[in-house]
Amino acid sequence: MNRFAPDEVWIERSEWDTAVAATVRARVGAAPVRVFDDGRPPEPPTFADGKRRLIVQRHSGSFLRSCPAGTGKLVCCNYLVVNFASNCPFDCSYCFLQEYLANNPALKVFTNVGDGLAEIDAVVRAHPERTFRIGTGELADSLALDPLTALSRQLVPFAAARPNLVLELKTKSDCVDELLGLEANGRVVVSWSMNTPAIIQRHEPGTASFSERLAAADRVQRAGYRVGFHFDPLVAGDDWEREYPAAAERLLARVDAAALAWISFGSLRLSPRLAAIMRARGTGRDLLATELVAGADGKARAWHGLRSRMYRTMVEKIRARAPGVPIYLCMEPGSVWERVMSEVPSDRMLGMRLAAGAGW
Amino acid sequence: MIQSTDSPVVAYARERRFSPATLERWLRLAVEDREALLQLAVRLRLGENHFRDVLDLTEDIAAHQETTLHAVLASEAVTAVLGRGLGRNEMLKQLKDALRRERYPQLAATEAALADLVKELRLPPGVRVTFPENLEGDTVTVTLQAASPDELRARTRALAALIEQSRIDELFRLLGGGW
Repeated sequence: MNRFAPDEVWIERSEWDTAVAATVRARVGAAPVRVFDDGRPPEPPTFADGKRRLIVQRHSGSFLRSCPAGTGKLVCCNYLVVNFASNCPFDCSYCFLQEYLANNPALKVFTNVGDGLAEIDAVVRAHPERTFRIGTGELADSLALDPLTALSRQLVPFAAARPNLVLELKTKSDCVDELLGLEANGRVVVSWSMNTPAIIQRHEPGTASFSERLAAADRVQRAGYRVGFHFDPLVAGDDWEREYPAAAERLLARVDAAALAWISFGSLRLSPRLAAIMRARGTGRDLLATELVAGADGKARAWHGLRSRMYRTMVEKIRARAPGVPIYLCMEPGSVWERVMSEVPSDRMLGMRLAAGAGW
Repeated sequence: MIQSTDSPVVAYARERRFSPATLERWLRLAVEDREALLQLAVRLRLGENHFRDVLDLTEDIAAHQETTLHAVLASEAVTAVLGRGLGRNEMLKQLKDALRRERYPQLAATEAALADLVKELRLPPGVRVTFPENLEGDTVTVTLQAASPDELRARTRALAALIEQSRIDELFRLLGGGW
């Protein structure tokens, strides 16, 4: 894949000399670097334009919060997310950021990383009996901007020093160079959002290909990291029954099962507003045409029986090759868990199980 | 921009008080698609909600089948309904059912298989079996009606016998996606 190169960089004047801003300035190459004062730099005209302009600024709110995927009606894995960036240089057809960041589409990286780390530190210190799974890949890709920010050079040593923290770096990129020389001490899981090669090519523009993701996973695994994979979103296209198991097969042939921290599955889910945005943008038209129906949370998914069948197909495939790997479903009700996994774990139990299995 | 070639579409939408968003969406379509929809709308006197339903279904089918909207409206599934000489309401209902079957082939096939199974169960009088809307769930609802204690006992016994049939297992298997 091509490394992300923004068309321009805007840096908040007061943050010019911070480590993040200095690193971006040093690495950005030919793109013009501009300064803005209080407030915001000019708004990008469109969501896609927002992804071409990198804003480097201080973050004024809190960094850490519960994963927004958790709702009362769905089984939740008690995951926490920390946002050191907002928005993503990729523009996947189905991405929820099209809706979530519709009014704030600028691609931002935050300079006060230390404040975010301090928040995490306070939480993990306050509960030494609990292991926390925290990820940076909710509102941004964890690694796509790493060649510009080298943020992982701060995050990995931080996690490595905390025995009750598992930090997940989730990506669709193959930007793992910064990670390779760092000692993670078993506290960092590098994970990839996966799909079939055809879906990646058609709906995840600019991301690493299927093969590139596996090659990157192989590299970090050899460097001592555990790895994870998220087949999310599973798309109920006409060829899912052939393509997804084949993708799982390729993955398991390449990755050492002993290094797998977890594999998750989630089906394509679209809120009515996201679907409307996709229609208006003309992205993912074929995705909208799959057999999606409204679920209990108002989001459209492949209907219950169909997605249960997709999950079962994938779970059986994984279990046959890597029986010990923790598997979970994302944003699914207990009825689907029961049908697919023959259990409905409590949120707490699921979170503990995944955290326990994550460390070396 | 509204052009003169759009005028029958605009006239229809204005007469039916379509929202600007729906009209704009209609006008964004290719000319042949626009015209095919207009013909259908005029024939079935479609109000905005029905029009939008038909448009959503047809666009999704066209996207899935990698064809055009007017090709979908000219398909046998659609023309068969339009050629049945039905009244407007029944024709509209059958048209939407036909489009839904095209739009959700696996779901429609599963619903049909479930309906067949329920028929084969030969439910006693006063007993109804229903499934979640769009099969989004795995709960079967069984409704038993009775007008007297004796009727309730008789129907409960009949239902209890029926539940032992293997068709009941098949019914839940289908609802769960065929596993």
